[in-house]
Amino acid sequence: MKSTYVTHFFMAIFGLLMGGIMVYTGFSNFNEVHNMFVFEDFRLLFGFAGAVAISATGFALLPRTYPKNKRKFDGTISGGTMFGVGWAITGACPTIALAQIGQGQLAAIFTVAGIFLGVWLYRRLSTGSINLGNEICGED
Amino acid sequence: MIEYANWWITAISLASITLIFWIIFKRPLGVSGSWGRVVLWKSESLITKVDNPIYAHSQTMVNSLMAATIEAFGEKAVQKALDDHKGPIPGLSEISNSLAVERRLPWTGHLLFLLMLPVGGFITSYAMGNFHIQFNLGELHRSLFGTGFSYALTLIVGGILVGFGTQLAGGCTTGHGISGISRLIPASLIATCSFFGSAVVVSLLLKFL
Repeated sequence: MKSTYVTHFFMAIFGLLMGGIMVYTGFSNFNEVHNMFVFEDFRLLFGFAGAVAISATGFALLPRTYPKNKRKFDGTISGGTMFGVGWAITGACPTIALAQIGQGQLAAIFTVAGIFLGVWLYRRLSTGSINLGNEICGED
Repeated sequence: MIEYANWWITAISLASITLIFWIIFKRPLGVSGSWGRVVLWKSESLITKVDNPIYAHSQTMVNSLMAATIEAFGEKAVQKALDDHKGPIPGLSEISNSLAVERRLPWTGHLLFLLMLPVGGFITSYAMGNFHIQFNLGELHRSLFGTGFSYALTLIVGGILVGFGTQLAGGCTTGHGISGISRLIPASLIATCSFFGSAVVVSLLLKFL
């Protein structure tokens, strides 16, 4: 990215698109997500699996632009399990909670506040005496 | 009843945004990463402040480091070290290129991304005729978790679990689930199985208890 203005412009566009996709696919609807988790409706599950398959094909075809990152395994299982419990009761992942507010479900403000608190708490603990590791997806 | 996108349109739209993000930014899409950067904006802006001059003058820095090395060890020793070095020696332009690639996106970009999520959600739900102001997450969710203070508390506690869990696991549905598994990263598969598994268990408990 050459200019920070261009970067900001694209980040805004991706935010718009991502929020839109969450609503359009029904991922921001608690009923749809709950029905996916209890295996009553396979639409979102197939959608997710299909997205992984298409992306995997894409990544295999694209040239590798930077070295494969080495991820630590500490916290992957415990953190993942915590996230799953939270997702099941709020219907929200970090993206969905914000999209829910957008579609008018104002209760998601509490979820967003919780996520903010959770992220802050983790960062506090991981830089303090308890080192939990700080490997983060996506952005390095 | 609202008609949502069918499964293959869902798959294509999620995969497209993942791949296009990678092509444009040369890094995987990960929303929990954005959260981490925005929540810690204070230290982020400090890092940016320190980093910016380094990136802007990376060439100068490489040159002056070389000059300082020659001054400390003598030209002969440096030349000998360069001669003994096996494999290609990265040129100055290569070094500054790799700096540019690894450069972090500014935290304000992540903030803008997060702020645009509800805007995108609003536009789409309005266009679909699905926009309703509600103080819960729908009838099913309300029937599971009640109303009032305990309802809000459930969402806050759930949110903390989501926030803390995604940071601890190092990723969420986009980062581990789609970007990670599709790049065949083992930890991403493990993380996705963990959060999907626990979500299934809790959802089944909610349904049958």
